[in-house]
Amino acid sequence: MTRRLIMDCGREADVLEAVAFGRWPDHAAELVAHVAACAACADLVVVAGALQNDREAACREAPVPAAEMVWWRATIRARADAARTASRPITVAQGVAGACAVGLTCGLASIAWRSVPWADRFGELATRLATRRVDLASTLAMEHALPLVLVLAACLVLAPLALYITLADD
Amino acid sequence: MRDVTLYELEQLGAGAAEAEEAFQMDEDSFRVFYERTARPVWAYLARMTGEARLADDLLQEAYYRFLRARVAHESEAHRRNYLFRIATNLVRDLRRRPRVDDVPIDNGRRAIDCADPQSEDAAMGAARRVDLRRAMARLKPRERELLWLAYAQGSSHQEIAQALGLKTASVKLLLFRARRHLAALLREGER
Repeated sequence: MTRRLIMDCGREADVLEAVAFGRWPDHAAELVAHVAACAACADLVVVAGALQNDREAACREAPVPAAEMVWWRATIRARADAARTASRPITVAQGVAGACAVGLTCGLASIAWRSVPWADRFGELATRLATRRVDLASTLAMEHALPLVLVLAACLVLAPLALYITLADD
Repeated sequence: MRDVTLYELEQLGAGAAEAEEAFQMDEDSFRVFYERTARPVWAYLARMTGEARLADDLLQEAYYRFLRARVAHESEAHRRNYLFRIATNLVRDLRRRPRVDDVPIDNGRRAIDCADPQSEDAAMGAARRVDLRRAMARLKPRERELLWLAYAQGSSHQEIAQALGLKTASVKLLLFRARRHLAALLREGER
């Protein structure tokens, strides 16, 4: 027997109700006859039956925590979020202050540089660079290697510590 | 075990009060709502992700987001539907994230099957559920969401549209196609 396949079958709701309330197929003889002729409703029976059985089993077995536990976790997290939100302006202010300090230092340095006769300084620098261009880097590295390494290591150790102390909640 | 100090109790009390202000309902209302919805939401999350462990985590997250959302709900159904919308978004976010331990849902028993094997009915039921899970794993994520909400959860087309961010008019056609697809896969599995 071939089944008609129409998208908008008027008996779908009845079939779904029969499956959902456990009347299918024993207490729905008329619907059984309809489903035998309607491909859309036949699909519905297969799919809805399987999904509803699966849902029932999943709900039975669901290891959901107690409502009190979920509520308690949510309150803890809400507090943490609130604390984070409250500390955000302080972090922004610290960043702005840092940027201002760097800008101020650069400004002062440029004023100091301009106050020295620039032509003499530039000429002196150019001469130095011309004579010691090649080995400038290596000489600098050899002369200041140890202090440089020490400064870098100190930064590597102190920077995370400073960051931790700044960002720690308590 | 360390005793809780009076100061800590006061802090906890103050924190709980602050949190209640941040949430859209009080603890008693939440408990009632949670008792009604937790299991269906967990089932939805477990079937959409294919993993019970993930469903546990997402359940907590879904309720947290729900509590923090300042949304006026017209009815209990609207509230429940909003929760499913959050759950759907969480599952979609999870899919977008690359995962190291991403194992395809191919053996069906990986996560949630715990039926009693002593009874023959239970064994048959479990086998059917394995078939269903295999078939569901072969569907597109949106098809899975549509089918679950429509036939497992019993949501209306309008509720499905709201939960999945679709137009109500297109739900019918999408659902029809998804249903045909799943029915074909299930029949294929039976043969």
